[in-house]
Amino acid sequence: MPRKKASPAPRKGFIKTIVEVEGRTETRVVEIPAFEPTPWGPDTALETVGTRAVRVDAGEKVTGQAKYTADIARPGMLHAIILRSWVARGTLVSVDVDAARKIRGVIDVIGPGDAPAKTRLFPRKVTYAGQPIAAVCAESLHAVTAGIRALRAKIETAPFAATFEAATAPDAPLVRSKGNVAEGSPVVNARGNLARGLARADVVIEREYRTPVQLHSAIEPHGAVAEWQGDQLVVWESTQGIFRTREQLAEGLELPQSRVRVIKQYMGGGFGAKNGAGPHTFVAAIFARRTGRPVRCVNSRKAEQSDSGNRPATTQRVTIGAKRNGTLTAISLSADIPLGVGGWEGGPGQLYHELYACPNVRTEETFAYVNASAMQAFRAPGYAEGAFALEGAINALAAKLGMDPLALRRRNYAKTDPRKKRPWSGNALLECYEQAAARFGWDTRDSRRGPAASRAQVRRGFGMAAQIWPTGGGPPAYAHVRINADASIDLLTGTQDLGTGARTILSQVVADAMGARLSDVHTVIGDTGSLPYTGNSWGSMTTPSVAPAARMAAEDARRMLLDAAAPMLGVPLGKLETRNSTVCVRGTDRSMTFAEVTKELGDVMIIGRGTRGPNPLDVSVATFGAQFAEVEVDTRTGVVRVVRIVAAHDAGRILNPTLAESQLEGGIIQGLGYGMFEERVLDPATGLQLNPDLHDYRIPTIADTPVIDAFCVGQADAAANHTGARGLAEPPIIPTAPAIAAAVADAIGAELHEIPLTPWRVLAAAGEV
Amino acid sequence: MRLTVNGRAAEVSPEPGERLLTTVTERLHLTGTKFGCGHGECGACSVLVDGRLTYACLALTEACDGAAVTTVEGLATGETLAPLQRAFIAHDAAQCGYCTPGQLIAATRLLERNANPTENEIKVGMSGNLCRCGTYPKIITAIQAVARGEFAAPAR
Repeated sequence: MPRKKASPAPRKGFIKTIVEVEGRTETRVVEIPAFEPTPWGPDTALETVGTRAVRVDAGEKVTGQAKYTADIARPGMLHAIILRSWVARGTLVSVDVDAARKIRGVIDVIGPGDAPAKTRLFPRKVTYAGQPIAAVCAESLHAVTAGIRALRAKIETAPFAATFEAATAPDAPLVRSKGNVAEGSPVVNARGNLARGLARADVVIEREYRTPVQLHSAIEPHGAVAEWQGDQLVVWESTQGIFRTREQLAEGLELPQSRVRVIKQYMGGGFGAKNGAGPHTFVAAIFARRTGRPVRCVNSRKAEQSDSGNRPATTQRVTIGAKRNGTLTAISLSADIPLGVGGWEGGPGQLYHELYACPNVRTEETFAYVNASAMQAFRAPGYAEGAFALEGAINALAAKLGMDPLALRRRNYAKTDPRKKRPWSGNALLECYEQAAARFGWDTRDSRRGPAASRAQVRRGFGMAAQIWPTGGGPPAYAHVRINADASIDLLTGTQDLGTGARTILSQVVADAMGARLSDVHTVIGDTGSLPYTGNSWGSMTTPSVAPAARMAAEDARRMLLDAAAPMLGVPLGKLETRNSTVCVRGTDRSMTFAEVTKELGDVMIIGRGTRGPNPLDVSVATFGAQFAEVEVDTRTGVVRVVRIVAAHDAGRILNPTLAESQLEGGIIQGLGYGMFEERVLDPATGLQLNPDLHDYRIPTIADTPVIDAFCVGQADAAANHTGARGLAEPPIIPTAPAIAAAVADAIGAELHEIPLTPWRVLAAAGEV
Repeated sequence: MRLTVNGRAAEVSPEPGERLLTTVTERLHLTGTKFGCGHGECGACSVLVDGRLTYACLALTEACDGAAVTTVEGLATGETLAPLQRAFIAHDAAQCGYCTPGQLIAATRLLERNANPTENEIKVGMSGNLCRCGTYPKIITAIQAVARGEFAAPAR
């Protein structure tokens, strides 16, 4: 049979373009996919996407069958613990391991000089309390605990600088080898002319705000299990980025990436703190290499609360100028941010450029290194901090102008992106304002203001705040869809499900793109050994990055399935459609189930490939929202009770409303913790953390939970990407604390400038102490 | 020494000072019970010991000699999930799922003590179990649904 000449396959291209992660932009090479599916617009009818499909892995989670990292047990596995510094700065003089090695069950000890240089583990120079200085591994948890207790380490202490003020004072101790002010600081961003804007203002307000260090406090501590299988290192890790963890392990241990396999099936919360390999990962891998046995290393709660990342503190000096009618003429920020011994510059400034249409904006951020554990991204890094101050100042401005805070925000609504000066792909912020205000009863709040008759000292207050967060996602993200011989469908993609529901929504997307039943689709994620690359699950990027790649892979597979089915049904391709896992001939009752087609195909496997294409350059992609808070304040004790939060957010198409609501509620509760309780406390005399636990570092309990009415508005955003969905995970944490603070201010008739809103701060603001 | 775990007899030889959490997860390989803090602060390790709600990270195994221990693996009857488990699924009361086994154990005990709790009683009864994902509103909804008898009949 003569071979038909194949038409040339569609080719991919590569271009340089701008990509955005956590609000920062950079130029990178990205792929242009071979084809892009037609966007799912607001009017596209979808069967599974948009439904309240039950979380696909809920059954494993409620039965205890879901295996988290610490649940992984390998034959012959050892247990490892890291010894950490108990001083804020100094020199590690010696680690005496003899006593520890003599303990029954202790197998190995490592300290300075024992770890490969590129892991940067166990340096002699101690720069913060909690820094790893040695590690022990043993046959059991019991033996390793005894081993750690028997280690004798000597640290010569030195003066330290644990605060921004101390680190930037003349003759401050050096935190790193170079100066304490981070290179490039102060970071200045400006548009318009601030002085002219302030000169044009009828009203100017100046305020200073402070936000605390917030700890991620995932209930599952960081952990890793490492095992050498031949010349390959296999690592089970609780991580938001399996490929980034692989890259860092390969670099640290000087191995080819193909010799490192990172697996993550379930993880107990990340929130930004689990974005790569940590000391526990390297310790497990190093011990595994030295002993030839699998090793598990899991953080203690103390290690988790003192050295696994944090949201850095800020001091923000804000000046806002406005006309009498509320039109903003100038916004200025000067901010100090102590990062810890390392971290990146995710400061509060960018929000100031994006949330309102103000022609003159200037932000100046100074980042400093201090002798404390390094910051890491924490849900909406920078924006949660920035919103407390900017939204506090906007509320203060409203009070000074005698304007309703909601009316002031509507007046300064940014119709286009004021920072990048281009349209939004979609923006339903005005709808968020309107619907949340209506459900909250904002306009009739004064009728509910009176004190309860029996509790005259309890006052009620109402407040609100708004939110923006860049959520475009973007390349690279890859997916394969394979149709098995029995017509069950596997989506293969190297992403992660943090508890967000990625497995579920990706299955929903594939089901609709294939015309398949949801129950026929199985999403396989979390293994670098077998899955195509996608990036970290950070920046609310998983949905807008991976869902388009999954959809494209599914459409590619569907096209091949139809290629196979057309001759079987004896009709041209154009007559075929798919629904309910069946190929149907349009306008007739003839059909073949997917299983009938694949049975004919036998072991000939259909594998569709999908790529996330580049983002549009002519629009800005962001998620918006507004939250309204109602509180009760006991004016005698300063105790605040958050009664109710109403939240409306616009994230484009909502792939699964139930999962979206869970994200919103979770973000709001974390924001409530940020506003009400959470604050890392360092002892100024020693630099040691006074609350490295979950008792004195207090996160919200179920008893703190207010009534939450959280919902999504807006519609599918076909300009953002072809699924119409933007990111949603981080936005809800942003406006909660400022909305609560505004409500407390409303209740007591005095502004609050520092969170958390402890009873002491509330009483001080009210002039009671 | 002898424990009865989820209805089955188990002989264990704990180290001195060993906690019930270690015994259950490392010796009996029932990994549904989670380590979160080791200090009775978070509730991820909640189990029932002779019917009492217990933080397994604080309980000494040796003090549980002869006791009946229930972990999350013991809530279902064969393949049939307990009403609370079905309600947690239906109401999306698990996000990352790490605290979920402890939440389910605490909720089981709560409903045993008080079959029809008010919202405030649920909040008090469940306040020893932390959830960082913030599933609290869904947990309240799920427990209320079970109290109303909505999940009494197993789903087919």
